[in-house]
Amino acid sequence: MKQLEGNVSNLRNSIFGRITSKSTLPFLPNKSILLFLRKGGWIFGKYAAILNKSPNPLTTRIPQVYNVTNADLLCEGDIVLIEPNGKIQVLIEKNSDNNCLFLTNRCNCSCVMCPQPKSGEGVDQGEISYDLIGLMDRQSKYLGLTGGEPTLLGDKLLDIIRCCKRRLPNTRLELLTNGIKFEDFDYVKRLARISHNKLYFEIPLYADIDSLHDQIIGTKGFFKTIKGIYNLALFNQKINIRVVIHKLNYKRLPYLADFIYHNFPFVFHIAFMQMEIFGMARKNISELWIDPFDYNEQLREAIMYLYLRDMEVSIYNAQLCVLPTELRRFARKSISGWKNIYLNECDECLCKQECGGFFASSESIHSRHISAIKDLDN
Amino acid sequence: MSYKFLPFRFERLNREEIFLSNEVGEFYFISNEEFQKFINYMLNTSSQTFLDLKSKQMLTDTDIDPVVEMLATKYRTKKSFLNDFTSLHMIVPTLRCNSNCIYCQVSRKEATSGYFTMSKPTAKKTVDMIFKSPSPSIKIEFQGGEPLLAFDIVKYIIEYAEWINLFKKKHLEFVICSNLTLMDKRKLDFFKNKNVCISTSLDGDKDLHNKNRPLQEMSNSYDIVIEKIKLCRSYLGKDRVGALMTTSRFSLEHMKEVIDEYIKQGFNVIFLRSLNPYGFAKQKRDEIGYEIEDFIKSYKEAFDYIIELNIQGTLFIECFASLLLTRMLTPFSTGFVDIQSPAGVGISGVIYNYDGNVYVSDEARMLATMGDNKFLMGNVNKHSYQEIFNSDFMHNLISSSCLECLPGCSYCAFQPYCGADPVRNYSEQGDIIGHRPSSEVCRKNKAIIKYLLELIRRNDEKINRVFWSWITRRNILEEKL
Repeated sequence: MKQLEGNVSNLRNSIFGRITSKSTLPFLPNKSILLFLRKGGWIFGKYAAILNKSPNPLTTRIPQVYNVTNADLLCEGDIVLIEPNGKIQVLIEKNSDNNCLFLTNRCNCSCVMCPQPKSGEGVDQGEISYDLIGLMDRQSKYLGLTGGEPTLLGDKLLDIIRCCKRRLPNTRLELLTNGIKFEDFDYVKRLARISHNKLYFEIPLYADIDSLHDQIIGTKGFFKTIKGIYNLALFNQKINIRVVIHKLNYKRLPYLADFIYHNFPFVFHIAFMQMEIFGMARKNISELWIDPFDYNEQLREAIMYLYLRDMEVSIYNAQLCVLPTELRRFARKSISGWKNIYLNECDECLCKQECGGFFASSESIHSRHISAIKDLDN
Repeated sequence: MSYKFLPFRFERLNREEIFLSNEVGEFYFISNEEFQKFINYMLNTSSQTFLDLKSKQMLTDTDIDPVVEMLATKYRTKKSFLNDFTSLHMIVPTLRCNSNCIYCQVSRKEATSGYFTMSKPTAKKTVDMIFKSPSPSIKIEFQGGEPLLAFDIVKYIIEYAEWINLFKKKHLEFVICSNLTLMDKRKLDFFKNKNVCISTSLDGDKDLHNKNRPLQEMSNSYDIVIEKIKLCRSYLGKDRVGALMTTSRFSLEHMKEVIDEYIKQGFNVIFLRSLNPYGFAKQKRDEIGYEIEDFIKSYKEAFDYIIELNIQGTLFIECFASLLLTRMLTPFSTGFVDIQSPAGVGISGVIYNYDGNVYVSDEARMLATMGDNKFLMGNVNKHSYQEIFNSDFMHNLISSSCLECLPGCSYCAFQPYCGADPVRNYSEQGDIIGHRPSSEVCRKNKAIIKYLLELIRRNDEKINRVFWSWITRRNILEEKL
């Protein structure tokens, strides 16, 4: 996520709140953080903190961060966390459709390609989430709930979803989960009872064979996830399946498509995803790397198999120039803004606007078939 | 033994390959050598064949319980057409008819006859009986005879059913099966505002249609039916007017013309139906009937022609193949009264004769008109719903019509796609269980299923696209894929 930095005064604990640049309203709620971009002048109102672009601190007792680099990147309505060391994390970007809440860094899987492996102690961020949801713009289009494995929060997750339903009833809420917890019928029942009709379950399935899937996620979870999917389906929940592609599973993609169609024909959407080379994926790169160009044949077969059967199917994180022409229409721009990059080569490409581009982490490792598309017919 | 089998059935497809299917209709083509290895526990657990068979749940080397649970879920889905009980209710408002079809299967009566028409009290009782069905959707289909000869009764039934449905709130639709000769604007005005579809008969081009389906008064019925189809469409719209064909001996050589005629008349669906051996069709077998092998040959040729038309860009569906393909290629449930297991007799479809007699199927009624009341369930004027639908006879009939336990079917690899027909078994072979090796229906179904499997096995992108256009009912023939 986006990060900024500055020097601190009057700040002892972490503070978070919503950015505003309006300084003249006297009675703002105290979760507002003033983004102070002027040269000087008076400050009215009760702010939680002040972010100040200028190199010198303002004279005030309110906690403040001054000399903030790139302060222009912040927008009215963004929600930020200010740490005592002067680091400012942008938790929610007002103008982004990719916002996520990281609910925990704990996980019950240890996937070989996990981009965010758990480091240090397990930390749950359930409490802060309520406040964040409360501060979010009610018109937000999208919010992801992720981790770690959010379902490890147990009943707290249900409270968070309930909170989303109440505060953000029109926001599409996507829960990224391995689905193992949904093996618990009773838990799914309580979850379904919230009846949030904008809630989607994003569940990964990496193979049609239990041993292969389990090898990838590092635990015996295949049949639990399947039981979970069936439990969710019993309550008519909206389920999407995600498949991250790498060297261990690319060969069986067409069979996986077949498996999904026959066993889970009720899912809303299936996404095939290029791997993000970060965290464990970078560490295990020799075991996992295959040039995305080299699995085009299997990907094509899987996509066409599902498309013929009238299933919604997409490709995430892929670059258009690497995909065969007939698959390009399935590609979606899916990489979050703050880590989405393009290469120099891309500047000459006719399709740059439509292309999803790269993860920032792919700058050094990416397909050797990247080349600007200069003729749309090819 | 490094792996265990899960239930599967097999059948030789050709010299090189064997066809495997499981209980829910998922299948796999396997070579002779691999099959030998498979059944002798010799497959390498990291081989492609092993993984494919595991994915198709025909074997496992790890957990068994969760796989069985998945199969059970899929089996429930496949059989879910049974959930709602009877939804197709056919009514014969009259047995009188003004047609003179050479293959008439119902032993029709003269149009001018004073009898053979349903009375109002019987019609009322029939509708009351229909609405006792627990099914949330009810389709009332008027058969005959020619139902428009008894338009008053048809009208009465539709109006009374709609009245009852104000309280029952089911999904209610009507179908009129008619030769259309008596269709006029007044009747169409009435049908227009009801949820009524028209199903007529069109056997082919002018010569063939007139040969198969002359009227009692005149021989040129073709011009009339074409004109009336247009009239119906102008009132009801194209989607609410359908046509069915029956194959007589004279049709066998002219399947292409039949298909061209359907396309010419703007239909995009055809059901290539063979003759059912009841009524005249049975009596005049030598004259108008044929060996089932001849029908199969003709069907295949016609089917190839249809596929070719589709590949050229004309979306045109063959219903029987479309039904079988849905069973073979999708995990969804497809009940179809004539071909399902357990058979649809009484539990999916039922027919009420003009005299209030209730029969398990149209064929059962045909049998009754030939003097055999074996499949009479009761009479709406004398019996209760329980007595008619929950009798020992019905229990026995249904439990004798599950392919899963019928000799010859229980081990057939095509079983998940096929169906039982106890009435046909009884009328052809003398008992409801039947004898598969001498059964025409079995030969026909097997041949067509096998033919479709061969086409699937080809994995030809163009043919696949045709099949999936049919199954998903959307046109992807022309799409750039």
